[in-house]
Amino acid sequence: MTQHSTGTSITFDRATKTYPGAAAPALDALDLEVEAGELVCLVGPSGGGKTTALQLVNRLVDLTSGDIRIGDRSITDQSAIELRRTIGYAIQQSGLFPHYTVADNIATVPVILGWNKERIRARTAELLELVGLSPVETWLPRYPAQLSGGQQQRVGIARALAADPPVMLMDEPFGALDPITRVAVQDEFLAIHRAVAKTTLFVTHDIDEAIKMADRIAILKPGGKLAQFGTPAEVLSNPADDFVAEFLGAERGLKRLALTTVGEIVTGSSDRVGAGAETAGWPDVEATMTLREALSVVSAAQAEGAIVHAGGSRLGEVSLHDLIAPPTAGEDREGVRA
Amino acid sequence: MSDFAPAGDPVIPDYGQASDCVINNGAFCTDWFISQWSTVFWPPLISHIVMVAIAVSIGFVIAFCAGLLAYRKKWLAGPIGIAATFLYTLPPLALFQLLVPFTGLSLLTVEIALVCFTLVIIFQAVLVGLSGVPDDVRRAATGMGLDRNQLLFKVELPLALPSIVSGVRIATVLTVSIATIAAFVVDDGLGSPIIKAVSSPFNTQFIGAGALAVLLAFALDGLLVLLGRVLTPWTKARS
Repeated sequence: MTQHSTGTSITFDRATKTYPGAAAPALDALDLEVEAGELVCLVGPSGGGKTTALQLVNRLVDLTSGDIRIGDRSITDQSAIELRRTIGYAIQQSGLFPHYTVADNIATVPVILGWNKERIRARTAELLELVGLSPVETWLPRYPAQLSGGQQQRVGIARALAADPPVMLMDEPFGALDPITRVAVQDEFLAIHRAVAKTTLFVTHDIDEAIKMADRIAILKPGGKLAQFGTPAEVLSNPADDFVAEFLGAERGLKRLALTTVGEIVTGSSDRVGAGAETAGWPDVEATMTLREALSVVSAAQAEGAIVHAGGSRLGEVSLHDLIAPPTAGEDREGVRA
Repeated sequence: MSDFAPAGDPVIPDYGQASDCVINNGAFCTDWFISQWSTVFWPPLISHIVMVAIAVSIGFVIAFCAGLLAYRKKWLAGPIGIAATFLYTLPPLALFQLLVPFTGLSLLTVEIALVCFTLVIIFQAVLVGLSGVPDDVRRAATGMGLDRNQLLFKVELPLALPSIVSGVRIATVLTVSIATIAAFVVDDGLGSPIIKAVSSPFNTQFIGAGALAVLLAFALDGLLVLLGRVLTPWTKARS
């Protein structure tokens, strides 16, 4: 694997966009600091300005006022064309060129940048491996019409990563996929993100996707105002206002439990006196399950707790109280920041 | 193949042995067709092809540029479309009549008229093809940093090709047909043997020449279909 450029921070500085003829701004004085290597999800209802915010960064939409900086450099310091070639861009339906093969699609920006053939070939093969399309030779000559939706989206991600940009913009990239494919591609993208550490702005209207993917979530409300910016755990535990609470939904308590695995809160058997008698009839759960899933198992068994296993051996137990009020729920997700 | 003997020569021309078919004026005399191929049919066929090729080529260049212009400057699409449609609606014979005082009984007169009839078809095909490029493809291309010309030549024009090719096909078939009327102006093309034969009771000449025009239209259309397939390999790629 070749060296990847590390991510660069993205700073929104009172970024405002008012479309011509519109009375109110689509995005209203957004202040947002996306740290290097961080994955931030922009979520919110239609009309919240999340796609506008994203397209301001690669200047598909021009700022009305305010500024956006990538690293220390304002996006207006260079031409829009040059800027875009340093930013990975993936969109819903993938936006692949139907007349280009997979190989040519991925090579689009490298070709424009004048890379030599050998370098492009090596990079294309490496990226296809990275997004899980191997053996590479079977995929390179295919046209997008010959791929499934999930495969197209994987190629779209590979294409966005092609020139090794420090920053990635993703506009509802998985919005058109069926639920099963969607989960698979989400997992793969998270793995890729951990491996290459690109600073990523990710627009989605799906709060569950945001909770799953994001290091931090920025919730925008109608009128293009930032309602809350925080880790999934922070947002779920302490919604800033009624709008956020409503947007997160009535199940936000359960969603919060999905941030922690049973393995993280399990108590060793030796800690409990008389554990054997107390745990009679408790169901078995795997340490990799989320608290939410374990709670579902416990509820189905009408028990007071569950016995935790990992790799076939008994790790300990969790009580019903541990599951619904975990002391450390979600705190592991805050490791990215100080 | 003059019908008249030289002046002063009293000898009655010897037309040789006519077949039964020719003597009885059958619907189509294959033997006569074959024996007259090199003088009556082959030269007009070649000049017909040349006439069509020139008209479609020039028409394509003009209409293609007009299509690009109308795509870039949307407000021009209406006026150009109306002008091209106007030219298309003119009766071909009337247009010849109109042009002859200026350009004479020449190939130029014929080509000007033929080009006029190709314009609206190819222009619309270019415009429809370019406008049909999916928005998400255009947005992705722009977002990745393609400039306007790269967007046009790498993405928009290739994706417009199927529409452009079908426009050229229709224009070509139409021009093969209209070019037969050119014989009213010049002694060229397959219209020439047809017009000469129309006033005679003999069938084979105009049926033969007419059939050649039909076959030529099919042949050129087929060639363009093949060209289209070569140029757009992705359109037949399906999983």
